[in-house]
Amino acid sequence: MRLEIESIDIKDIHVGSKTCAEDRVLQVNLKELEELILKDSRIKSVDINVVYPGDRVRIVNLLDVVQPRCKIDQFEADFPGFVGRLRTAGSGRTRSLRGVAILVSNPLTKRKYSALLDMTGLGAELSRYGKMKNISIAPYISDGTEERDFEDAVKIAGLRTAIYLALAAEGHPTDEVEVYDLDIPSLEGDSDLPRVAYYYQMYSPQHDHRGISDPCFYGTDVRHLMPTIIHPNEVLDGGVVGHHTIRSLDTYTVQNHGVIKELYRRHGKDLFFAGVVFGVANIDPIIRKRKALMAANLIKNVLGADGVVITKIHGGMPHVDVALVGEECEKLGVKTSIYTQPLVSVGTLGDTLLFNNEALDLIITVGATFERVKLPLEADRILGGTAKTKVFLADPVDQYAGDPVIEMEEMLIAGVHDHLGGANIIVKEY
Amino acid sequence: MPKKNLTVVHYLNQFFGQVGAEDKADVGFVVKDGPIGPGVALQKELGGRAEVIATIICGDNYFSKSPEEAGEEGLKLIEPYQPDLFFAGPAFEAGRYGVSCGAICKAVGEKLAIPVITGMSEENPGVEMYRKNAFICKTGISARDMVHSLQGMTKLAFKLVSGEREMNLVSRENLPKPHEYGYFHRLILRNEYTEKTAAERSVDKLLSKIKGEPFESEVVLPNLERVEPPPPIKDPSACEIALVSDGGLVPKGNPDGLSGRGNLRWTTYEIDDFLPEDFKSSDYEIAHTGYFPDEVLGNPSRLVPVDVMRDLVKEGKIGQLHPTFFCTSGNATVSGRCAEMGDEIGAEMKKRDIHAVIFTST
Repeated sequence: MRLEIESIDIKDIHVGSKTCAEDRVLQVNLKELEELILKDSRIKSVDINVVYPGDRVRIVNLLDVVQPRCKIDQFEADFPGFVGRLRTAGSGRTRSLRGVAILVSNPLTKRKYSALLDMTGLGAELSRYGKMKNISIAPYISDGTEERDFEDAVKIAGLRTAIYLALAAEGHPTDEVEVYDLDIPSLEGDSDLPRVAYYYQMYSPQHDHRGISDPCFYGTDVRHLMPTIIHPNEVLDGGVVGHHTIRSLDTYTVQNHGVIKELYRRHGKDLFFAGVVFGVANIDPIIRKRKALMAANLIKNVLGADGVVITKIHGGMPHVDVALVGEECEKLGVKTSIYTQPLVSVGTLGDTLLFNNEALDLIITVGATFERVKLPLEADRILGGTAKTKVFLADPVDQYAGDPVIEMEEMLIAGVHDHLGGANIIVKEY
Repeated sequence: MPKKNLTVVHYLNQFFGQVGAEDKADVGFVVKDGPIGPGVALQKELGGRAEVIATIICGDNYFSKSPEEAGEEGLKLIEPYQPDLFFAGPAFEAGRYGVSCGAICKAVGEKLAIPVITGMSEENPGVEMYRKNAFICKTGISARDMVHSLQGMTKLAFKLVSGEREMNLVSRENLPKPHEYGYFHRLILRNEYTEKTAAERSVDKLLSKIKGEPFESEVVLPNLERVEPPPPIKDPSACEIALVSDGGLVPKGNPDGLSGRGNLRWTTYEIDDFLPEDFKSSDYEIAHTGYFPDEVLGNPSRLVPVDVMRDLVKEGKIGQLHPTFFCTSGNATVSGRCAEMGDEIGAEMKKRDIHAVIFTST
């Protein structure tokens, strides 16, 4: 399967009468974008704003961040199952705009957790999105629409905006073409390189809002999915999106998947990228064991891997889950490199492990995402909510988006951490 | 106007404070103006930027008999000086002296909120006891390492008062790197920027592991204590059984202030009031952010099985349900504190003569 991602580096965004791109400047007709978003009957109205680094703006109630992308050579093929028709993602040509992100807010969210982004000050300094030119969209619910259904509508509005903007850059010269070309089944290959697979724990149902899982895979949820093999290009090219909350992970992060891109970068040089096994964290111990055995078997006996990188989704229970996958892999002789996020900021690093198995002797700290920082901001504007929007903290205190200083767990500042390995962060004892 | 020098108070034991040797180890606190003994060397390292204005001296035995109390006593003598910096020792390998240095640093650091710096060798018991409370520089085992140790302590002290933002930390706090500044880490974890992404590091190290080459894990596995399960109770119908849960079920308003994550507290509720048979879901909330709580709020007995316990008591299968429910929130709480809470709850249960306990979690 071969995917070409053709990137254009956007230097600025202007509001204008026509949506198009010229000389690395993206011009957006906000009215046209609004009409596009309002085609979804679940959405009554939408606030759209362009925000720039340095603006005294705080964007709250973030549900997702998306990079503008569209297929160049296929029709109605973007984010299949979410927006486009169902097809297998990951082949052909895709246009991607760099330096721009779509910030998707659900202003009336009832979720406990929701992320934010500041466009100036420490919050902007820490976030990759704080340095980009962004389009903030905040849809409002139409009468009679159910809460969870509306969340899906907000998500899809973000994806639609992404496609709309990328389509508008048609004809613009490309700054870089990345080629992702991999034939997974070549077990017979004449390569002596070690075969490295990737185990992608992509969801955990433990926080399911109202007991319903977020759709994140070809338009559906994956709660009951058995471990399965997918092609890494499906992940990079819209088959997989973020969840309905940002906890160190959003669609942008998936589109630029750290581990997958790294394995591709080294494929044929010092390793052979043996493929991706996709799994879900499990609440029930028997199901967990069954799925861990299945995952390890796919990694060893179907993909023929010598080693596997294992990443985890946010939370404690998923930590136990990936450890079991790792243990089963090691039992079969597959060497593991397993990610953790220390869930506390006290103690030693060893104290933060939720497993204890000598075979799991290579542990990568992807970031202590509950670490807290104080964000001072005298905001001129608050988008996606109001100054009275409650901002989550795990302590029994109330704080609001308009407070002069708020305390944030870093996982809820969009674009600081990256559970998929793309951030230059490590956890150390101090 | 030239900037005012930083003021320093220095703590020494009776030996380094020139009061006397082991025969003077029972001597109580003495205050002297200016630097004494190692303080003179410290002053030299501090140069013109800081001045040792007083030295507090105490006998090793006197101090180490009850270190926390002695720390408070010492603090009272130090407070009037309102120093900008506090140094203790270094104590090298000396155990009582190390504990004294740690305890007085703890008292001063907590009360005056100034940098407190001491020095010890790795084996000194003061390191494990007080590493959380002080910057403890790594030293050699004896006073032969004095000048070198004081140089390290001074360098660290100046870094701490510099007010610099550490751009290498996500939090931007002014926290010196333990290995760069030669101190024992203080049991806190911080996100640090690295040259390589987690993805790059994980693949690099995995390839080394596959090839059988040396590799370095970013977390070293701890040696965990094995807890043997106790023998089962013989006759439940003769037992009083208590309920404990870490699911964070609390009365609406969370009156005891349990945290939803990283909670450090436990509390108790009387079951007859807290979970009556005609309970109302709206009377509860969940101080726990690790799960979606609708099922538990719908019927709290799903977490704290009071309904079943009441039935079993009626049926005579269980002697008695202990009237108090022991409640905490266990979500990313550091394991050391979990063990302490277990000891505390266990001690309380022993006092109450409870025979058996049912733990329920989420």
